[in-house]
Amino acid sequence: MGEIFNVFQGLANGFDLAFSLTNLSFALIGAILGTMVGILPGLGPSATIALLLPLSFKIGSPVTSIIMMAGIFYGAMYGGSTTSILVNIPGEAASVVTCIDGYQMALKGRAGPALGMAAIGSFVAGTIGVLGLTFVAPPLAEFALKFGPPEYFSLTLLGLVMATLLGGDSIVKGLIMIILGLLLGSIGLDPISGAIRFTWGFHMLQEGIDFVTLAMGMFGIGEILFNLERILKAELVTRKISHLWPSLKDWVDCKWPIVRGSFIGFLIGILPGGGAVISSLVSYAVEKRVAKNPDEFGKGAIQGVAGPESANNAAASASFIPLLTLGIPGNAAIAMIFAALLIQGVTPGPFLITEKPDVFWGVVASMYIGNVMLLILNLPMVGLWVQLLRVPYSILAPIIILFCCVGVFSVRNSVFDIWVMGIFGVVGYIFRKLALEPGPLILAFVLGPILERSIRQALLMSAGSPAIFFTRPISGTLMAALVLFIVFQIFMNRRKRRQME
Amino acid sequence: MRPIEKWDRITGYILLIIGVVTAWSSTQLAMGSFKRPGPGFLPFGLACILIVLAVALIASRWKKGSGRIPFWPERTWLRPLLGSLAFALYAFLIGLIGFLLTTFVFMILWMWVIEGISWRQIATVSTGVTLVLYLIFSYFLEVPLPGGIFS
Repeated sequence: MGEIFNVFQGLANGFDLAFSLTNLSFALIGAILGTMVGILPGLGPSATIALLLPLSFKIGSPVTSIIMMAGIFYGAMYGGSTTSILVNIPGEAASVVTCIDGYQMALKGRAGPALGMAAIGSFVAGTIGVLGLTFVAPPLAEFALKFGPPEYFSLTLLGLVMATLLGGDSIVKGLIMIILGLLLGSIGLDPISGAIRFTWGFHMLQEGIDFVTLAMGMFGIGEILFNLERILKAELVTRKISHLWPSLKDWVDCKWPIVRGSFIGFLIGILPGGGAVISSLVSYAVEKRVAKNPDEFGKGAIQGVAGPESANNAAASASFIPLLTLGIPGNAAIAMIFAALLIQGVTPGPFLITEKPDVFWGVVASMYIGNVMLLILNLPMVGLWVQLLRVPYSILAPIIILFCCVGVFSVRNSVFDIWVMGIFGVVGYIFRKLALEPGPLILAFVLGPILERSIRQALLMSAGSPAIFFTRPISGTLMAALVLFIVFQIFMNRRKRRQME
Repeated sequence: MRPIEKWDRITGYILLIIGVVTAWSSTQLAMGSFKRPGPGFLPFGLACILIVLAVALIASRWKKGSGRIPFWPERTWLRPLLGSLAFALYAFLIGLIGFLLTTFVFMILWMWVIEGISWRQIATVSTGVTLVLYLIFSYFLEVPLPGGIFS
């Protein structure tokens, strides 16, 4: 009982914080920016949070800056559906499946109910996700207090591998990106001995590669260059949006898809690499399977909008759980938030809830409020946002580049950093062309120091025997999970390939 | 469309070289032992895994090696190249002639050369964007923007 009481007390304090004028305004800014980048194709939440990382130096308070960045992340899940439904282009990766039935609904003149149901499902699922975060995170953090270096090594490794294999289609390429990220992270001072590594004589490299520069280059500049190859044009299927509030029949149809989507999203969202994209795909598949008339799917079934849109929101909230309780980010956007916390001098991990309760509960409470804001922004005001699709990419692209340049300059007042970011931008562009996902690289770069410290400390503990990773119960279980997961993934890839042939 | 196969193989060779160079330079650092891992310990291990992965990537594309998909089909290289050049020009000029002028020139060049939109739009958008960004960064965020020769 005492623990439940602690949760409510923490939440009450959190609401106190979140309702302060500053935090409310930054939650609103986050929600607005999130909806905006969700709607705009070619600019995702990861890139946006990367763009705003320099800003977190200026904000000064960890609670406030994380409240805003979290808002961008889950806000993008709301906005993404709008573009999917009206333009048939996903505004953001997790809304890919919403195109299928959402666009068909819009063609049949039912854009209103599709947009309405997407927003309502997002709200319900987002709130369920935050409820889960509220009650699952504290006990999980307490459990994680038992973790020593071997457990941390196994967990980080499992997280990295899962994030990579669940996200991309080639196992080898995903693993290559992890290794490259880890190697990039090892440039500069060695965290344990203080030796200088891989600087090739460049003094600027002694402090290591700056995360902000890397992230803005790979995600900001790299994405722009990649998008320049094609001409992105958004053509709205309809300008008339009416009947946003769904009819009784729509409610009956969507009740269970929303509930199922919420739980699917939450469960997949906790897993590293699970995230919003996969949960929306799984939800769509499940809804199609349980539907009374599956033939409707692909022709404008509202369940095909409600389920996935709920799932991606629940997943977005749930993916804060591993970050705030274990200190291990599960996807690229969350890795940016992890970096923002580090910039503010807060190290996320099992001690966060007890040592920095303000940060944890303030952010959690703001997510309840943020979801209400987003419902208002995306339901009655959706017509306003649609105007945003008129801003052509030709104007947006140079502005994003300018933001990147000034942002990266502002961190250390150095023009040299602009050049470094440009190089990472070109590298990120080439990676995208080669179907090498930059997400795992960023994740590995962030997790590199944790991985290295834990493996070296664990080996010191065991006097050089790698058996320590397998004989301790928690670490052994994690390692077994890792092996099982890889075997399963190889098996699935084989089957997929055979089906294709 | 993604240029795979042939390009994957070339990627594999480049990664192989990176792996070998990294492994060699890790051995120049203190490697330590399993009992006392040194600063070169993990990078060496990672470089070895990278070599294995690079070989796997090359091998997996060996048979299907006929891939003739060009890296940049139908002049798609042009706009990204121009974009990169505009970026480089921006990074070069900002230290010389300052934020305001560089930003203005960058916006004009981008919209004129890369996007080819009408001059009336270019004039309004580039003036507007330059001033708004200047206000945001200089007054709201208090970034000490480079003034170049005008400072």
